[in-house]
Amino acid sequence: MRKTKYLGILVLAFILVGGIGCATASSDKMSSMKTEMTADDATAAIAAADAARKKAGSVSGEWRDTGKIIGEAEEAAKAGDFAKAVKLANKAKVQGERGYEQMVSQEKLRLPSYFK
Amino acid sequence: MKKIVLMTTALLMVVGFSNAVMASPEEDRQIFLNFYKERFPNVPQDDYINGVYAIDPVGRENWEAIEEFPPYETAIDAGKSMWDTAFANGKTYSDCFPDGPAIMSKYPHWNKEKGSVITLPLALNACREANGEKPLKYNKGAIANIVSYIAYESRDQVTNVVIPKDDPRALEAYEMGKKFYFTKRGQLNFSCANCHLQNVGMVLRTEILGPAVGQTTHWPVYRSKWGEMGTLHRRFKGCNEQVRAKAFKPHGEEYRNLEYFLTYQSNNLPLNGPGARK
Repeated sequence: MRKTKYLGILVLAFILVGGIGCATASSDKMSSMKTEMTADDATAAIAAADAARKKAGSVSGEWRDTGKIIGEAEEAAKAGDFAKAVKLANKAKVQGERGYEQMVSQEKLRLPSYFK
Repeated sequence: MKKIVLMTTALLMVVGFSNAVMASPEEDRQIFLNFYKERFPNVPQDDYINGVYAIDPVGRENWEAIEEFPPYETAIDAGKSMWDTAFANGKTYSDCFPDGPAIMSKYPHWNKEKGSVITLPLALNACREANGEKPLKYNKGAIANIVSYIAYESRDQVTNVVIPKDDPRALEAYEMGKKFYFTKRGQLNFSCANCHLQNVGMVLRTEILGPAVGQTTHWPVYRSKWGEMGTLHRRFKGCNEQVRAKAFKPHGEEYRNLEYFLTYQSNNLPLNGPGARK
């Protein structure tokens, strides 16, 4: 009975250590992916962000900081930090998409209930 | 029977909604007035020309103390000097505005020929350009000075925005301004109405949100935050940026229509610009 108990604890410990190992490896893999971003990745992400910004602007839905974030992405790409550039560009792209959706969803004027 | 009830309800909702959307400008103005009357029953209607100080007694005390030595006086003087000084071709602003300088209540107005809303700063720049002068920048500086002088000379005139019935584009411009006012924008997803109607009187950080009625009567203003004079469209820009939306060009179509709609809501209220604000 006692042997079985120790065996159980041992198995649990292995599982735990193994899990942590896997997680660390996965995290290392992710960070190596980030550093593996290329200038082309950054250029493509920035172009996509700028297209999303312009699309939002076409319906008067551009947000305040989107252009600024794209500028920061361009700076990061110039400095060779492509991972940062892609991250910023993706953030700007989401802003552009949300700004567009925000305006399209309000294409027709709907007066609020408190205005009556 | 159930179907009939459902159809009738749906029809009533559609009719109700259409009516709300298609309310006339005058009906809109009454809705605004009734809303504030219900929210602030002790505020006399004429007091709305004092903006947020109509509903903020502590802020009002400070403001009244500031008004003893108005920080906008130098702007009025500078504006008078501009009005009196001839352009390079020998003409003056008076040649463009023979009824001037007390012309504030004529703006904004609908211009049928141009098919657009004309604001006072836009008209002033058109005058300058017609006389070979460079147009002024719209947010602050010289434009705020000359509009301050005109506003001062126009004190006690009454806001009188007209939406001519002989040109449907005028009502369209008003409706576009109304749509702008109720459209949520920016990363914070706020409309003008969210602050100045729905949450009027509430505190946002340290500031009390002011009512829309009376909001256009006292411009330009010396704003302590700016440390200088600024125009109404500068404030529009600031509001849009505060909700993290990209601002529009001053006196571009969006803000012109917004001014048309917003100023209409202050019809019959006296003009009391220029003003001072925190």
